[in-house]
Amino acid sequence: MAFCRMVDIIYAALPLRPLRAFLIRSHMESCPRCQSRLLSRAEAGKLFVSSDDVGMPANLWGRVTTQAGRGTPIPEAPLVQPAGAGWRWAAAVSTAAVVAVTGFWLLREIDRQSFDPGSIRAANRFQLDYVNVGGAPAQTFVYQPQGTDTVFVWAIKNP
Amino acid sequence: MDEQKRPAVDEKEIIEGCLRGNPVSSRAMVDAYGKLVMAVALNVVGNREDAEDVCQETFIQVFRHLDRYDPVRNFRTWLLTIVYRRSLDMIKKKRRFSEFTARARFEPAVAERGGNPHSADPEPLPSALLTKLSPRERTALCLWANEGYTARDISEVLDCSASTARVYLFNARRKIKALLENDHGLLQNG
Repeated sequence: MAFCRMVDIIYAALPLRPLRAFLIRSHMESCPRCQSRLLSRAEAGKLFVSSDDVGMPANLWGRVTTQAGRGTPIPEAPLVQPAGAGWRWAAAVSTAAVVAVTGFWLLREIDRQSFDPGSIRAANRFQLDYVNVGGAPAQTFVYQPQGTDTVFVWAIKNP
Repeated sequence: MDEQKRPAVDEKEIIEGCLRGNPVSSRAMVDAYGKLVMAVALNVVGNREDAEDVCQETFIQVFRHLDRYDPVRNFRTWLLTIVYRRSLDMIKKKRRFSEFTARARFEPAVAERGGNPHSADPEPLPSALLTKLSPRERTALCLWANEGYTARDISEVLDCSASTARVYLFNARRKIKALLENDHGLLQNG
């Protein structure tokens, strides 16, 4: 009992996953007292929806083929693998470099006398012809907060 | 893993058929795994409308990238990995959408459509599962409870070590058990 309490305190005080996994493996998984404070599989099963309880999504096959754009899905482009740490760093450095160069260029342009901010206003250049969601025309709302140069487009899939 | 819950389908044949571009096999795959994908998506995202979208995106990704599937791996685990990732994407998308609507201060009647409070989900998950558990913990607990997955199997789906999966599962089991013992109301549906 005292040992269980000590394990609990260590578990709560040190949020290190390897240590916690070690405590679980070495004590909590085999200790009846600690096990009694855990949800059983049967209890957990009652809380979740199982595949026997849930119905098939409506017209799933039709939605999949429509979205895939063909009746016979064929493997195509390779799956993008999750980026590793090295790639993340490279991407972060590249992004920072692009932001820095763009910022530098913008500051230079603003300093020039001839610079006219109105000429590059995003809202002035904004044009929206048609919005499709899931292959069908969507309900679309265009919202521009007063006094800002920001345009939000909100498209809702038609039922 | 719980062998009894496996569908009575020739998995290998279906996969080979899909790789050859046979629409009958593709249809068979959707029929065989649709409910499983839907159940896991529903358990992770928490509402039927989003779960159906996750389901659709999952199968599209499966068909497009089936050539990347390594037959040495368990197909269900590979499939559930995609379901989990698509569900996480959906949760993130919803979160961004909620933040956006809060900032933009749209009319409530319009904003509610994105928040999905009136979804026609007949059996919503207990609210504590959605509020007290992280998506990772929820997925770990769901796979353990419904699919009979071990920490190692869960780690493949969550793309983490078995130790980390064990911790997620343990935390989830302990949190919900404590809620069950202290306040039954927290585990009521919705």
